[in-house]
Amino acid sequence: MSLTPPAMRHVRLLVLTEDLPRAALALAETERFHPDERPPEAAQLSRAPVHAYRQTYQQAQARLTKIGRLIPPSSQAEIDEIRVVDLEELSEVNDWLGRIWHEASRYEEELRRLDDEEHFVSEQEAALGNFAELKIDLSLLRNKTRFLDFYVGIVPRENLRQLEGATALANHLLYPYMLRGEQAHVVIVGPRGEREAQLSSVLAAAGYQGLPIPAGLERDPQEMAQTLADRRRAIGEERKAMHGRLADWAAGIADRLLLAAKTLHLAEPLVALDASIRSAGHLAHLAGWVPARAIHDLEGRLHAALRGCFHLDSRKPRSEERALVPSVAVRNRLLQPFDLLVKQYGIPQYGEIDPTPLFAVSFLIMFGAMFGDVGQGAVIAGLAWLLRRRLGPLYRFGVMAGLSSVLFGFLFGSVFGDEHLLPALWMSPLHDPILMLQLALGWGIGFIVLACLLAIYNRWAVAHYTDAVFGHHGLVNLVFYLAMLWGGFGLASAGAFGWLPLVLVVLSLAALAVRSWRELEAPTGERVLVVFIETLETVIGYVSNTLSFLRVAAFSLNHVALSIAIFTLADMMGGVGEFTTIVLGNVFVIVLEGGIVLIQVMRLQYYEGFSRYFSGSGRAFAPLRLRRRLAAPQAS
Amino acid sequence: MPSNTAHQAYLNTRVSIMATRLLAPDQFASIAELELAELAERFGLGAAVDAQPDRRRRSRAVEQALIRTLLGELTVLTRPMRTAERALVSAWGRKYALFNLKALIRGKLYDLDQEDIQAHLYELPAQQGLAEEALLRAENVLELLRALEGGPYALIARQAREVYEQRREPSDLEATLDQRYYAGLAHQVAHFYDGNLRPLQVLVGALLDRVGLMWLLRARFAFALSPSESYFRLVPSLRLLHRERLLGLVNLESTERVLEALPEPLAGLLAGTADPQEIQRRLAQYFVVEARQVLARSHSAVARALAYLMLREIDLMTLFALIQRRLLDLAIAPADLALTADGRGTP
Repeated sequence: MSLTPPAMRHVRLLVLTEDLPRAALALAETERFHPDERPPEAAQLSRAPVHAYRQTYQQAQARLTKIGRLIPPSSQAEIDEIRVVDLEELSEVNDWLGRIWHEASRYEEELRRLDDEEHFVSEQEAALGNFAELKIDLSLLRNKTRFLDFYVGIVPRENLRQLEGATALANHLLYPYMLRGEQAHVVIVGPRGEREAQLSSVLAAAGYQGLPIPAGLERDPQEMAQTLADRRRAIGEERKAMHGRLADWAAGIADRLLLAAKTLHLAEPLVALDASIRSAGHLAHLAGWVPARAIHDLEGRLHAALRGCFHLDSRKPRSEERALVPSVAVRNRLLQPFDLLVKQYGIPQYGEIDPTPLFAVSFLIMFGAMFGDVGQGAVIAGLAWLLRRRLGPLYRFGVMAGLSSVLFGFLFGSVFGDEHLLPALWMSPLHDPILMLQLALGWGIGFIVLACLLAIYNRWAVAHYTDAVFGHHGLVNLVFYLAMLWGGFGLASAGAFGWLPLVLVVLSLAALAVRSWRELEAPTGERVLVVFIETLETVIGYVSNTLSFLRVAAFSLNHVALSIAIFTLADMMGGVGEFTTIVLGNVFVIVLEGGIVLIQVMRLQYYEGFSRYFSGSGRAFAPLRLRRRLAAPQAS
Repeated sequence: MPSNTAHQAYLNTRVSIMATRLLAPDQFASIAELELAELAERFGLGAAVDAQPDRRRRSRAVEQALIRTLLGELTVLTRPMRTAERALVSAWGRKYALFNLKALIRGKLYDLDQEDIQAHLYELPAQQGLAEEALLRAENVLELLRALEGGPYALIARQAREVYEQRREPSDLEATLDQRYYAGLAHQVAHFYDGNLRPLQVLVGALLDRVGLMWLLRARFAFALSPSESYFRLVPSLRLLHRERLLGLVNLESTERVLEALPEPLAGLLAGTADPQEIQRRLAQYFVVEARQVLARSHSAVARALAYLMLREIDLMTLFALIQRRLLDLAIAPADLALTADGRGTP
């Protein structure tokens, strides 16, 4: 497996404008063409020939989506025949979808009308309940009198205050007798006359809805309640019938709708290419990035689709284009979940080493070492396996982390925190804590040195030579770090730092300081301060970063110590209590400590690793694709 | 979370630094003398002017660039604000989204092509926009307003839809949108209860006084609406033209009577004129004075920030008017441009 993304080539394709749909389909089928949206160098290539196609597609797709809201797809279908969709066919589909949407929106409006009517019945029921308390004959309000004008109805609450003023100006009185949700129930009374017409206009602007005073209100309120309940039931039945009619109608158009959806799927690749296509007359130009090893296949596919009527040339990416070149992601199934975690940080820039394999290996080692237990690891792996449908590709991450924990559990001889059930293949961490700390320190040094080497390689690979030597975690930094370790080792073992490591430390720090001084544009005082602080930060940074890895040993010791605490508590409980304490203690360790260890390992990876050598500023390879599966409506 | 004093100090400092960008009244005359290229260079609009092939597109690009500047500053100022403060200032900046909404509604009413409609839309930052792409695909006004009911403009959209469903009148629809916008601003101010309340009442009140009086005169005497219809379209101010006063004013029968019945300082300000343009000009001047006072004297950081943005908008629109004058070779005196380019008062 290569650690760097596959080599890419920039491809320029010239085709006849009329062949564009065919070319787009051929490119999509290969799934190896990542469009380059930069305008071509030739100024004559200025037209966007797919513009109308895209507009039509977008309108049709929007209509299909809206229809899908009313007729939800019920199954999956496959595109069985791959064929070219021209603008004429796309326009036909769009027009048909327009007609269908027009019909669908009538159903939608009708259903909304029923909702509104139901809501209105609720308001009437509430009003009826309110009227029942009053000691007057409200049936008189049903008809306007010779002198008085009555309105009983509802208005949006936010308009109430303004409407109150407006009705007063029309010599009417507004009385809000009930507030329900966003609606206010009001009675408006005033003299009949010329201002009545003015008021009607205001009421319409205020979103007023009159509540009909039911006939027979002076009689039994129960009778009226029954009438409203009957109306509500009738609305329910009407809605049911409407859904039935909608289902029948949907079944009648299902086949055609599926065909339309397939047509739009087939048109999608050309639409996706719109920004990358320019033309002049009958000649169209499109450009993109293709993995070098796929060029031959791509050319073959185009030959078959366009009968040789095209011109394709390819070249290596130029150095100034490096930031634009997409990086092809890892396709290994085992590494896939780790790739997802790497992407949380960023995408490797083209030419950079893909950190995923290194991340996977070091993650598993550190997680296992910090959380080594056969039983608890098996629980994690088992849970991840059981929840694989819900976790998606991340379940493999859980399974591998659990298995790593099991492996280290065998080395440490720990099963659910009990160190007596299984003989340790190596030793319990608590058996020799100093050795554990020394190993963790050694691991950290190895990790940092490797990270610096990768940083140097990555910068060198993208032609940032000065950065590779003098930049953060570049060659000079590495020399300083190794010299400091050498001196530190001498100091610990022989009591002296040694002159050669000292000279190397001083020279490398001096080189970094000179570089920093030359790069800074500031007054001398500020320069001195910044250079001093930066140099000090380099020294402190490397020391603290190395010590940071002691947490690997600390957590493995912590894990054993927690287990001892749980077993001590369990011993004190005895009987059922002992068993319960051990179970609950293990759950506590798996959830809490497992979570903390996960966070600590991620922190070491992201901060001590990625921040040194991984820019994460690359672009993901997103090739043109033809989606073959689509949601299908219920067939008749 | 920083303490209130630190928070106010930070925002006040930011506003003070930004306020140095405002044009002093005496600067306007010298800027008006500049040629197009000099104007573009001085205000960093060279790219907008040079990149476009024709005058119409240049004018549009300049306007777009100026609005982007304004909304960029709004974003910078709202970032350190507390929730209620941010809600108020963002509500003020929403007028550009409502311009877009009106353009969308008009486009759908007159069955314009998507591209034609799009050409009339401002490009707005995502947090201040309307998700125009989705709305563009609506096939009619009702569908558009229904689609809008799912987001932060739900209240405005629902009211607008109800009005449109009942009356099918685009002018009523737009009047409702304007009314809901200003009512929303007044409502946001009502959320404050501390030292910010008074300066915000002064500032937003001055804005509502200005807008309210113009709407009142237009509704009563240009559109000849009844007092109750006119009143319903107004938004009571937090200051001079409050509810009771508006109720009295809409009942008067002529512009002169309304102007006579106005409280001070509006009565003195508008004495001796009944010309709508002159009234608009004097009200705009009055508003600028009030906003400048809030900016200079208030202790409320949010009121100062909002005052700055309102004044900045007026400056930028004046600048746009000057550039348009040069672009289109208009023979309008700079002073006349300055009088009318009083910011995007009504969305």
